[in-house]
Amino acid sequence: MSLIEVKNVSYAYNENKKVIDDVSFNIEQGTYVTIIGHNGSGKSTMAKLIVGLLPVKEGEITVDGITVNEENIGKIRTKMGIVFQNPDNQFIGSTVKDDIAFGLENKQVESKDMEAIVEEYAEKVGLTSFLEYEPQNLSGGQKQRVAIAGILAMRPDIIIFDEATSMLDPKGKKEIKKLMYDLSQDKDITIISITHDIEEVLQSDDCIVLNKGRLFMHEKPDKVFANAEKLREIDLDVPFIEKVREAFRKNKIKLKADDLEGMVKELCRSGSKH
Amino acid sequence: MNNLVFGKYIPIDSFMHRLDPRGKLIGLFLMIAAVFVTRSWWVFLGIAVLLAIALLLAKIGIKMIVQSFKPMIVMMIFLFVINSLTIRTGEVLFNIGTYPIYEDAIFNTLFVICRLLLMISITTLLTATTNPLDLTLGIEWILKPLELIRFPTHEVAMMVSIALRFIPTIIEETIRIMNAQKSRGVDFENGRISEKIAAILSLIVPLFSVAFERAYELADAMEARGYVPGAKRTRYRVLKFRFTDFMFIFICALTLALSIASRFVL
Repeated sequence: MSLIEVKNVSYAYNENKKVIDDVSFNIEQGTYVTIIGHNGSGKSTMAKLIVGLLPVKEGEITVDGITVNEENIGKIRTKMGIVFQNPDNQFIGSTVKDDIAFGLENKQVESKDMEAIVEEYAEKVGLTSFLEYEPQNLSGGQKQRVAIAGILAMRPDIIIFDEATSMLDPKGKKEIKKLMYDLSQDKDITIISITHDIEEVLQSDDCIVLNKGRLFMHEKPDKVFANAEKLREIDLDVPFIEKVREAFRKNKIKLKADDLEGMVKELCRSGSKH
Repeated sequence: MNNLVFGKYIPIDSFMHRLDPRGKLIGLFLMIAAVFVTRSWWVFLGIAVLLAIALLLAKIGIKMIVQSFKPMIVMMIFLFVINSLTIRTGEVLFNIGTYPIYEDAIFNTLFVICRLLLMISITTLLTATTNPLDLTLGIEWILKPLELIRFPTHEVAMMVSIALRFIPTIIEETIRIMNAQKSRGVDFENGRISEKIAAILSLIVPLFSVAFERAYELADAMEARGYVPGAKRTRYRVLKFRFTDFMFIFICALTLALSIASRFVL
């Protein structure tokens, strides 16, 4: 049994237009899955359906065998957390430590145990020295790290990142992507990242492509990008390294190296021989 | 807008900062009651001395208190004008043109102004030395008896704490929208009243739209982290009454008692 099973799910905000149209996929435990697609492709709606922020009206979603519905929502929420796009709109506490503790208060963790948990997860995201800080005094990347610490403190099985890097500067983006990758190494945590950042797909185990509310592809990242033409048909780009590989293939240049740095070195070596 | 002093928390460590917020809230109510009950200048002087000691203990400069009076200047002038026009008892002190200004008008105005200044100083002292979240917890504790009549104290406290948390964010947003509108040629300072109303509307409409969007997203974030309105929760911050808190309340209560007594004695 998969950890998350999405079966024939459809959703419409208004009766006329389905934002999600008969989508089915499974997500295995401990995997890092990216969901990509254009604005309006239904990515964020899908995340809200999985976490139970929107009601599943058509089809079924199960998390660890539990059907996502109003009745089970409490159980579902103990299993998953979601990091939203705008770091300013998810800060509830007036300081970093109060914000990390918010979920623990809801989970009714004993007051005396909270301090240690807050410190443990602040350390995990590298914010130990910022515990007393107010949100407005943090950078975008730091604010997202606080949100992640708040989710981690609730010890979820699944973390959904809903375009969590899209409002950050390059430094903040890099910080959060690294943190997501580090978290994905813990095989007890399943990561679902909804993203526009095509480069991020490369660090995931699986990629789901949504287009106009329908499932377009669900493959390993290398297989997704092997179908570059198919992606371009729906105006999605491929990562820079895939473009380089594609250019080499077109020009019949065969290189042993697979990573960008190796390719450049190999090219330089062959160039200097000529 | 960022220079507002009234209601601003000063995050330092001091005796006043360490007092329990519930004790400070009770003390604030007692002191404000003392300011309102008395008719004696001597009691005002006593409260001012106590306030000065509290400011010293709070490591807060008098400059901050004086700055908190600024928004009240217009109101004080208005008060003076109204009193001068309406109070016509006592001796005539001086004339403005042909209009006589009576002794009672001046003294009454000064008395009300002193009352206002003391009240603002006490409130500023409370907000400057109490973290907004602690203040909310204090308010929730004080409102607790209202739960008997099913008043949602926790929800109200949560709303107040979120409102306080979002003040700087909304100020930032307001400045951003104002700058965006100015760059499109909107003039917030000059023009006729109708033009000013149009300018303010161009600020208010997007500000409300953004605020609602933020509220929805925050509600989703809270819900996703297991918050259920009305459900039982534990507390990260646990408030504890100490001996100093009881002493603080005792001094404030004594001041109120003296203030009441002054009505009969002085």
